[in-house]
Amino acid sequence: MLEMLEYEFMQRALLAGMLIALLASISGTFVVLKRYSMISETLAHSALVGVAVGLVAGFNPLWIAVLVAILSAWLIEYLRSSFALYSDAILAILLSGSLAIAVIIVSLGGAFNNSLFSYLFGSILAVSSDDVITILFVGTLALALLLAFAKELYFIAYDEEVAKTSGIKVKLLNFLLVTVVAVIIALSIRIVGSLLIGALMVIPTVAALQYRVGFLNTMFLSVIFALLSVISGMTLSFYFSLPSGATIVLCVLLIFIISLIGNKK
Amino acid sequence: MKFKIPIFDVKNLSFGVRGQKILSHISLEIFNGEYIAIIGPNGGGKTTLIRMLLGLESPSEGTIKLFGKKLSNFKAWHKVGYVPQRASLVDANFPATVLDIVNMGRTAQRTLFSFLNKEDKAAVYDAMVKMDILDLKDKMVGTLSGGQRQRVMIARALASKPEILILDEPNTGVDIVSQRNFYALLSKLNKEEKITIVFITHDIGVIADDIGRLFTINQKAIVCNNPKEALSCEEMSALYGIEAHLIHNHKHEH
Repeated sequence: MLEMLEYEFMQRALLAGMLIALLASISGTFVVLKRYSMISETLAHSALVGVAVGLVAGFNPLWIAVLVAILSAWLIEYLRSSFALYSDAILAILLSGSLAIAVIIVSLGGAFNNSLFSYLFGSILAVSSDDVITILFVGTLALALLLAFAKELYFIAYDEEVAKTSGIKVKLLNFLLVTVVAVIIALSIRIVGSLLIGALMVIPTVAALQYRVGFLNTMFLSVIFALLSVISGMTLSFYFSLPSGATIVLCVLLIFIISLIGNKK
Repeated sequence: MKFKIPIFDVKNLSFGVRGQKILSHISLEIFNGEYIAIIGPNGGGKTTLIRMLLGLESPSEGTIKLFGKKLSNFKAWHKVGYVPQRASLVDANFPATVLDIVNMGRTAQRTLFSFLNKEDKAAVYDAMVKMDILDLKDKMVGTLSGGQRQRVMIARALASKPEILILDEPNTGVDIVSQRNFYALLSKLNKEEKITIVFITHDIGVIADDIGRLFTINQKAIVCNNPKEALSCEEMSALYGIEAHLIHNHKHEH
């Protein structure tokens, strides 16, 4: 057996990483098709506010991150549907706003140290068995919700107005999608890091889109690409002592570049 | 005359944005089995009117009843098929086969977790046969021609077995030959399938013998029960401005 699998922390990290790859790529398919890729970056930064509060106040940062990310996702949807604001501008505002709040909280609380650093860039060493259980439990719920409404979410991504006129509850499902995405992102930042999770959510789908296949096949390819990136990224990270999040992102980028060139018209 | 509940019953409908009136005091009825064309100049409010009929915009004044129910209480949306203006201009990179798109026509009728059942599959198959796109089933929508895409979009609307089909300028991006076939198809759906059809068009040449009624929309609505007379009516000239002149020329050519 591979040497890295002899370490318990690596087993945990790989398991958590693969779960995250599955969740990020499936939710990412809908996010990308809705032209909403930047929401993952924004929510990742909002999750950092939760992490900051958790670190300073001594609560479990993961749970607070989930909570804050959900609130931020709802705020984005509310602002998008109730004010005449461009949605990309809303995302940019909340992204920098969240980061600013997180940094202030952490520096006031004197916790600007390695723990925050590990949430920014991800760390496989930091994954506890509690984290794995949380990801497994909450992640399964998130995945079930996504799959339950996959047909509807796909229709909405294709054409929101026509979906609405067919009787689909577009507003509700948009809230559901951003909520699930918020949860998945908050769960992922421990491993991939808040600065890099967006890549794992968006790039596998964009790579899959290059193959110009139908919806289910696109989602399937996206899952395969995300799993491949996580497994190869973590392996390289283990043997060459590289930061895990960044290595995973470079792997998924490589898959994207190959897909792009290989499918050039 | 037999009393009938109209599919659409529109009373005194007005719509404005930022103080600018787009539609004012429109009242009209659309009955089962009708074949109606909506014409009017750009910016005259045609699209706004059908967006209100579909609940995509809220009127500033007036009421809309759909199958006898207030629009806000209406639930049976599968009875209404909508093909938007941009239908034939789909994003070429969107990962969808023709079948993926037509299946969407059944999506709203299925609940949680449930996949499309036999009845849905039959409806989807039926819609593809009617639109003559069965052979394109596994093709990516992005690779189709404008005319083919248009038929896919209509098949999606037909898959829910609608009683009324609303099309907003269905011919954007479609060549002339496909346009002719397309109007023949619409007419067939109206006559053989008894589907009520309402469509917006710029293409005044198509206001042919089959059209039952004509709505001219330019802030106000003029309903012409006899389209051929409508083309020469003075009111239309007043509303339609320079384009009314074009209509007259067109008539002389024939």
